[in-house]
Amino acid sequence: MTLSRRDFVTSSAAAATAAVVGLRPRTVAAQTPKKGGTLRVGFYIEAATMDPHLSGSKVDRQVYHNIYEPLVTLDVKLGIKPGLAESWSQPDAKTLVFKLRRGVKFHDGTDFNAEAAKFNFDRMKTEPKSIRKGEVANIDSVEVVDALTLKVNLKKADASLLATLTDRAGMMVSPKVVQERGVELGRNAKGAGTGPFEFVEWIKDDHLLIKRNELYWNKQGGPYLDRVRYRPIPDDTVKLQSLQSGEIDVIDYVQPRDVAAVKADKNATVLDVPSLAAFAYQLNFGRAPFNVKAIRQAVASAIDLEQIVKGVWLNVGYPANGPIPPTSWAYDKSIAPIKRDVAKAKAKLVEGGKPGGFEFTMTTNNIPLSVQEAEVIQAQLREVGITMKIKLVDASTLISDGNAKNFEMISFQWSGRPDPDGNIYQFFRTTPGTSFNWSGISNEKLDALLDRSREVSNQAERKKIFSDITRILQDELPMLFIVHPIEPKAFSQRVQGYEPIPDGMMRFKDVWLK
Amino acid sequence: MAEVVLRRLLATVPVLLLVTAGVFLLLHLTPGDPVDAMMAESGDATAKESLRRELGLDRPIPVQYVAWMGRLLRGDLGRSIRNGEPVIENVSRRIRPSLELALLAMAIAVLVAFPVAIVSAVRHNTALDRLGTSFALFGICLPNFLLALLLIFVFGVTLRWLPISGYLDPLDEGWSGVRSLVLPAVTLGLALAAVIMRTLRSSLLEVLGEDYVRTARAKGLSEWVVIRGHVLRNALIPVVTVLGLQLGTLIGGAVITEYVFALPGVGRLVVDAVFARDYPLVQGVILLIAVAFIVSNLLVDLIYGWIDPRIRLR
Repeated sequence: MTLSRRDFVTSSAAAATAAVVGLRPRTVAAQTPKKGGTLRVGFYIEAATMDPHLSGSKVDRQVYHNIYEPLVTLDVKLGIKPGLAESWSQPDAKTLVFKLRRGVKFHDGTDFNAEAAKFNFDRMKTEPKSIRKGEVANIDSVEVVDALTLKVNLKKADASLLATLTDRAGMMVSPKVVQERGVELGRNAKGAGTGPFEFVEWIKDDHLLIKRNELYWNKQGGPYLDRVRYRPIPDDTVKLQSLQSGEIDVIDYVQPRDVAAVKADKNATVLDVPSLAAFAYQLNFGRAPFNVKAIRQAVASAIDLEQIVKGVWLNVGYPANGPIPPTSWAYDKSIAPIKRDVAKAKAKLVEGGKPGGFEFTMTTNNIPLSVQEAEVIQAQLREVGITMKIKLVDASTLISDGNAKNFEMISFQWSGRPDPDGNIYQFFRTTPGTSFNWSGISNEKLDALLDRSREVSNQAERKKIFSDITRILQDELPMLFIVHPIEPKAFSQRVQGYEPIPDGMMRFKDVWLK
Repeated sequence: MAEVVLRRLLATVPVLLLVTAGVFLLLHLTPGDPVDAMMAESGDATAKESLRRELGLDRPIPVQYVAWMGRLLRGDLGRSIRNGEPVIENVSRRIRPSLELALLAMAIAVLVAFPVAIVSAVRHNTALDRLGTSFALFGICLPNFLLALLLIFVFGVTLRWLPISGYLDPLDEGWSGVRSLVLPAVTLGLALAAVIMRTLRSSLLEVLGEDYVRTARAKGLSEWVVIRGHVLRNALIPVVTVLGLQLGTLIGGAVITEYVFALPGVGRLVVDAVFARDYPLVQGVILLIAVAFIVSNLLVDLIYGWIDPRIRLR
């Protein structure tokens, strides 16, 4: 099956009509983009490394998506579109063949071709400190067919691989730079990418500067900006004030509590970018009280998602019906989020053998929003006689508690993946040993559906499977899904032409300054 | 003198050993590890295990400590786990803003505290004194982050006189560098001024009651000469003690101020490193902070001898 540009446009458009809620792309009216200027961007934290294969920090990707390019990329509707690969085909379920774009050069002047792509995949698989190993684990080998044709052999069928290759695992780094620079690539990415911008300098703790790639292969649209300057500003309030006072032009995230105020400010524009994220709580199947299904259902029926999304998230998010966000083509709006039903909660308590209620502990992040959410849930549960204690921990402790299954109920805030598989498979598939299946759910019917969702490549068919999975999850409740957050970004009025893609990455190719 | 200093520095070796061993142990006992923090979004247990082996995190804690110590003795602090950068570079880049901020905050504190304390002590129990002590109470009570946000709102957002956040090195950028440090230095300096003012005021009051002050006045010296020549110097010892202790705290502990103003200082570095469980980096910064405390205390002791020749270092 060969996907042409038109195929993917029609399929993703059909899926997306139902999916995208509340997306308000900025209208770029009849204005003509203008070249020039420096865009000043404020981020919450400093980047960690410029080497995409060794990167474990989310913020790094924000920079990467401007200097590096993946083989395939995402459109606003999460469809897969050509990137450094012009087209791709799948002769059989375990083989992917990429036709690479002709005439693409890395910023150091070397050619991008199948040899270079193979070098990148091999490095991700074998470099001892590679953080990409897990993402490319299913790739058995990569072959160079000719200068512009790359054949990827998979260990088993995997419908979600293409979506994985839209991010760091698909990004191409100049082999010459890797070989000559070694670890130094981590802080100096000069010449390393093919993207619309080139790395200039990174003064640690101060700023990171990139400039327009004058020889960019894609002659349609931008890059228009002369330069982009990234600055870390860790405090949310101060970051916002820096935008309002004109010290910076873009901020990566606006806290729900600040959204209303920024929307009222005529110097700034807020853009609600729906995310791929699913925020939930995992329930431990391995120990009391949540080893009993009726007790899990009692808690689920006692929680009022609408109140949480309205009161805690200030409507900067959508109540969740499951792991798939409304931005996805696989979102099934016919499945309603679990409704609060006090009578049902009490009946389930009786069924579970705890008519008088019970006590348990929730483990969650020690950040204001999470604490507020926990307190609201605590109050809602108290109304049906369930006493919830709250244990606050830092992010690393949370992960270690989860991996060790040392919890009763634990917060799980997943940033999401473009393909629904990334929000589902690893959390609910029976897995011995340490995995993200913290709840410990092991359900034959679910396992069969999960495996099938990877083998099937037809999107409509996969969507049906994901709907079945969502229904089972609402009944079995390994996780209580709460919200799909919106990730609002804010701009000064000078910034034009930003296209909000739900993966939250800020691609500045077509952005210009008024 | 040099011998005294050398002896004192040697005596700090056991302190440093204890501090680093304690921190190392505590850090490893804290749940979570750098690989989990770095690969927070990966559920791949085998990939994580191989990275742990690569970083030597699978070895027993004492072995890891000895390995770290061995490298330290050869002058190597190792590399940060999160970004692979040598710890020494990371730390030395951060020490400059922290030192500049600490010194500027101290200068502001001293400039504000001394006149207020002297007026308060001399006009003891008058309305002026009460105004001075209320100012000090206010300075001690007002939380750092609140003062910082107020300053930003007034001078950054409303009046637009000073930059809101960020850091430029005054040694490279001159005036704009100083401007970038004014608001954070005032934030830290005001709280410090309050402490110094209280200390100096009570110490001045004590000295003002001494016989030799009465004698000086009886000689017909003007009040200003009495204060400057006889009172102030004798009242300085407790203030110098406070300043010495605070210098260490300002260098390593100005975390909130550094966060709010996005200053790349040592305090933020250590907190970020702890959250990332970046063991080598935390160890390196803690070592630096311990050294900063030791040196500032040594300075205090030397200054004692200069202020009051009766105090001799042995």
